[in-house]
Amino acid sequence: MMSSVFTKTLHEKRFFLIGWTLGFAAIAALLASFYPAMHQDGAIDSLLANMPPAFKGLIGNLGDLSQFDTYIASQLFDIRVPLIAGIMAIILGLGLSVSDEEKGELRTILSLPVSRSKVFIQKWLAMLLIMIMIVIGMAAGIYVVLPFIDIPAEISIEHMALLSGMTLLVMVTFGTIPFAIGLATGKRAAATGVAILTIIGSFILSTFGQAVDWLADFEKLSLLHYFPAVDIVKSGVELSDISVFGVITSVLLVIGIICFRRRDVA
Amino acid sequence: MSDMQPAIDVQGVTKRFGRFKAVHDITFSVPEGQVVGFVGANGAGKTTTISMLMGFISVSEGNISVAGQHVSTGRAHKVHRSIGYAAGDMELPGGLTGEQYLDFLLSQSQGDHTETTAMLLKRFKPQLNKKIRNLSRGNKQKIALVAAFATDPDVIVLDEPTSGLDPVMQETFLDYVRELSKQGKTVFMSSHYLQEVTEVCDRIMLMSHGQIVQDLMKEELLKNSGKHVVIRTGYVHTKPPRGAESVESSETDDVTTLRFVYKGDVELLQRWLAGIKKLQDVEVSEYNLEGAFSSLYEAETGENEEGES
Repeated sequence: MMSSVFTKTLHEKRFFLIGWTLGFAAIAALLASFYPAMHQDGAIDSLLANMPPAFKGLIGNLGDLSQFDTYIASQLFDIRVPLIAGIMAIILGLGLSVSDEEKGELRTILSLPVSRSKVFIQKWLAMLLIMIMIVIGMAAGIYVVLPFIDIPAEISIEHMALLSGMTLLVMVTFGTIPFAIGLATGKRAAATGVAILTIIGSFILSTFGQAVDWLADFEKLSLLHYFPAVDIVKSGVELSDISVFGVITSVLLVIGIICFRRRDVA
Repeated sequence: MSDMQPAIDVQGVTKRFGRFKAVHDITFSVPEGQVVGFVGANGAGKTTTISMLMGFISVSEGNISVAGQHVSTGRAHKVHRSIGYAAGDMELPGGLTGEQYLDFLLSQSQGDHTETTAMLLKRFKPQLNKKIRNLSRGNKQKIALVAAFATDPDVIVLDEPTSGLDPVMQETFLDYVRELSKQGKTVFMSSHYLQEVTEVCDRIMLMSHGQIVQDLMKEELLKNSGKHVVIRTGYVHTKPPRGAESVESSETDDVTTLRFVYKGDVELLQRWLAGIKKLQDVEVSEYNLEGAFSSLYEAETGENEEGES
């Protein structure tokens, strides 16, 4: 039974959830299954050592390919997954905010005895749960492939939890940007514009920042800077990195709710 | 709701969108149990007023209270416990079936409304097992109406509620509004179908250019009804008959057009018409709310309702 905006949203987004979970699981499984091919007794490592920094930046932090966990961190969680996850999150955030309003369905929900704050929070919680399921699916995709890899390959639950957790934070932050701006303003252009600018800006700063001197100074402005996947496997998560995502998301949520409670809904 | 408090109270309300004033300083109150028809041309400000009543949009100036509670965008949900709402252009969640939507709606309200819902489903016969996005306009509207009435609210706000309904369903809807009226419920209903407004409403408010230009009880309206007369003649010195009201005269290409409202003896009017020199054309229609609305519509847009200039 659909007893809340939360369950209603999950019901409406069930195909989105299934599709993206399968997609992420497939990407993760595919990249994990490539591990033996990339594992060349350190040959690729030495090749990469001579690679120009700009190229390294474009294909992500490659780390040490001889270990499965750093391979997964560099090939899956560094740039690729955050970027795809960010795009998915933006699509979801827009769908739950401005798309519902443009269709007129938001007004219908607001004609019921349910507060705007509740609508905002329950939609966001549904978005969060969808993202958690997708991240779990992605992690499962890796573990499903592991038994079929014919060379030693393992990643500890702890490392996987850290990488998945940080992926979730990236998703939530990228999703909250269009979601909060969309509900706060009702303007698709503003919500899409800021979200796209953030993700493209982050991608450019994180990839070209390593090669272009003047961009390097701005690299910290990239959200992807706070998800150093290989470093996380090697030395754990920095609290300051978590805080960046936490603060951005919290501020957006608070401002979003305040503005949504006050504004006109078309 | 206390006995003294009106069901709907609108005091000095203005709504601006940028520099545009959509609603300009309107004041009215609706006592409990009254059925009010809210009419006006497109763009007159009806939907904006209803949106403010529902708390979808804020007021720029003034105050609104419904069911004894102040309405604002942030606190509208408290008022919605006492309001049922349906609109002709209402978009129900397309991904749900009618049944799922009604389940969702009922889970948001307090109390058990199973009986009322069952009775409404029997009357309006909406299709409940298909996804709403796959339903016809009429079937969606039936679900919207069932949803508006299902929680047995004290105040029902309806914006063009019968658009998309077939004549049989329109009649079912009007019958139900009559029943609600007998039960002492307050209904505030905007409509383009003036006949349905005059049939079920106790009071009619006419809105134009963001202002309420007429606010009449049905009895007053019937008392004031008469004939709306338009004549075209080649004789420029034609004078209207004695007792004519709201006289308007215009001249183009040697043709004088005279419009007026006549509430006197019909025989005298016929005699006056027979005496007009160079009479080219005569139109006589009933002057009631529809007549008033038509005149106002023409005055505002320069067109008649058929779109002719």
